[in-house]
Amino acid sequence: MKNELSVMMLSWEFPPRVIGGISPHVYFLSKSLSHNGVKVYVVTCDFPGAPAHEVLDGVEVYRVDSYKNPSPDFATWVYLMNLNMQKEAAALAASLSNKVDVFHAHDWLVATAGIGLKHVFRKPLLVTMHSTEIGRRDGLHTDTEKMISETEAWLTYEAWKVICCSWYMVSHVRWAFGLPEDKLVMVPNGVNTQVYDNIPSEDLRELRSRFAAPHERLVLFVGRLVYEKGVHILVNAVPKILEKVDAKFVIVGSGYMKEQLQNIVRSMRLEHKVLFAGFVDDATLLRLQKVADVSVVPSLFEPFGIVALEAMAARSPVVVSDTGGLAEIVEHDVTGVKVYPNNTDSLAWGITRILTDEGFRRYIVENAYRKVQEKYDWEKIAQQTKRIYESVLGEYSKSFWA
Amino acid sequence: MRVIIFSWEYPPRIVGRLAENISTLSIQLAKQGVDTYVVTYHDFLTGVTTEPSGVNTIRVTNPVRTHIGVLTWVLTLNQEVERAAANIYYQAKKHIDAIDVYDWHFVPAAVTLKNALATPFVFSVESLEDHRSPGENSPYNMAIKSIEWLGFYEAARVSAKSEWMRDEIVRVYKVPREKITVVSPNTDSRVQDVLELYADVAGGT
Repeated sequence: MKNELSVMMLSWEFPPRVIGGISPHVYFLSKSLSHNGVKVYVVTCDFPGAPAHEVLDGVEVYRVDSYKNPSPDFATWVYLMNLNMQKEAAALAASLSNKVDVFHAHDWLVATAGIGLKHVFRKPLLVTMHSTEIGRRDGLHTDTEKMISETEAWLTYEAWKVICCSWYMVSHVRWAFGLPEDKLVMVPNGVNTQVYDNIPSEDLRELRSRFAAPHERLVLFVGRLVYEKGVHILVNAVPKILEKVDAKFVIVGSGYMKEQLQNIVRSMRLEHKVLFAGFVDDATLLRLQKVADVSVVPSLFEPFGIVALEAMAARSPVVVSDTGGLAEIVEHDVTGVKVYPNNTDSLAWGITRILTDEGFRRYIVENAYRKVQEKYDWEKIAQQTKRIYESVLGEYSKSFWA
Repeated sequence: MRVIIFSWEYPPRIVGRLAENISTLSIQLAKQGVDTYVVTYHDFLTGVTTEPSGVNTIRVTNPVRTHIGVLTWVLTLNQEVERAAANIYYQAKKHIDAIDVYDWHFVPAAVTLKNALATPFVFSVESLEDHRSPGENSPYNMAIKSIEWLGFYEAARVSAKSEWMRDEIVRVYKVPREKITVVSPNTDSRVQDVLELYADVAGGT
């Protein structure tokens, strides 16, 4: 037992608390690490109905009081929540009589907890930067945004290694925080293909009929309805696509642009062709991705693009904008179609191409599914991550902290 | 005996009366042969100094330069306080008898160090949020009060400057009266009272 590598993951979300992509990422990474002989302790925020401590697929999960008094604002809440998280994680790590070898933080949302733990226990800190404030906001415009960005810079400074999920993010993070090249490592995000393979086909016909008529091709968008996701480009492309194919556009997700998008649809008199489904439950989402005739990811800023990988795992052909992590996931004309970012005509062309050429569609889907299994398998990603822990611990063992 | 004092003001940075108060106490402690450290904040005069009195000071600054309020400033500064205190702890062969934290600002660091390294702390109350902002219960004030509450809850002992303050701590935070010791800064016996308090805490009660 003594030689078992042990990591404490810090994440502000973990299932059943799901706000964005960090929650499933930390879940699958932890589970697969555990499967590969790493002892994983996850410290995360509490959630109504979820136990304060449980063992989930071999992973020890601890949910801490996330500071539930009213807060002046979101950023201040984050730091208050970190105070509780750090306290609880410190007590936990101490009770394990210093068996925690590394701390692994996910994004600035757990920055102060992670930095403090590193110093009081003198153990290496790793961080996965899933996104950056300067990327999300396309610049730093307010004091809150500057503060968050400086917190991110501090976190990457304190980290032994900074993990990014795409080469695009490696170069973006390096530029944003002025980091030395050898501090950055690329480990892709993973996707679980099994959840899609296990859906019985009888389920799907009924589900499809809830969203589209039999003669309509189903075009799917999944994502927050915010500017950076480019959903407005898709909405503007709808009339151009309808000139060539009969289709229903299903838009899953919610966000501040929702009303604006609905107004555009109404002004085009296409309410019967564009369906705003809002936030849907997991089971419905998985099935929708499976029945979609094409999945569209028209992002303007995309550090990774997990939703494209999910579509590929669900055997739905993808049309993505040629930007960020998406540009690395998809090989044009082989595993999907890439279109010019922020370009309605190009997007309409890509979607129409897949919907009008059945042979091409099938070719893309098979290639994409194989690619996902080869490169984005959580087992392989966990092994890569474990090797990073081991190499960091090798360097650490020669330092005066050891 | 080895003691670390946390204070957000200390000469040359003087905000109120606390700076002078702690300066006097730390010199008296050093004179009594206590290995005395003061961890404090200064925007740019950072680093470690040993003063002629024998008191060791460590001044830290905030790595995050832009802030939207006192709370975010305090909550990020605490990690640097933890780093400074942990450095003392590891260099002193992992033994600190007590941490003495003045007011709420560095309570988060004291709490984490206690939970991580089993270093007990005294929460010394100079003033309470309830008195500084009477009747204010905005989320901002409540957050400060919750940090004060955490300090009372996690501290091994609480020290108050007067009988009146002790009564107020009992009234506002329902802290058991016997957890609070009154140490008047204006009496000759002050340093002896403080030393007794530290000895009590270090004994592991």
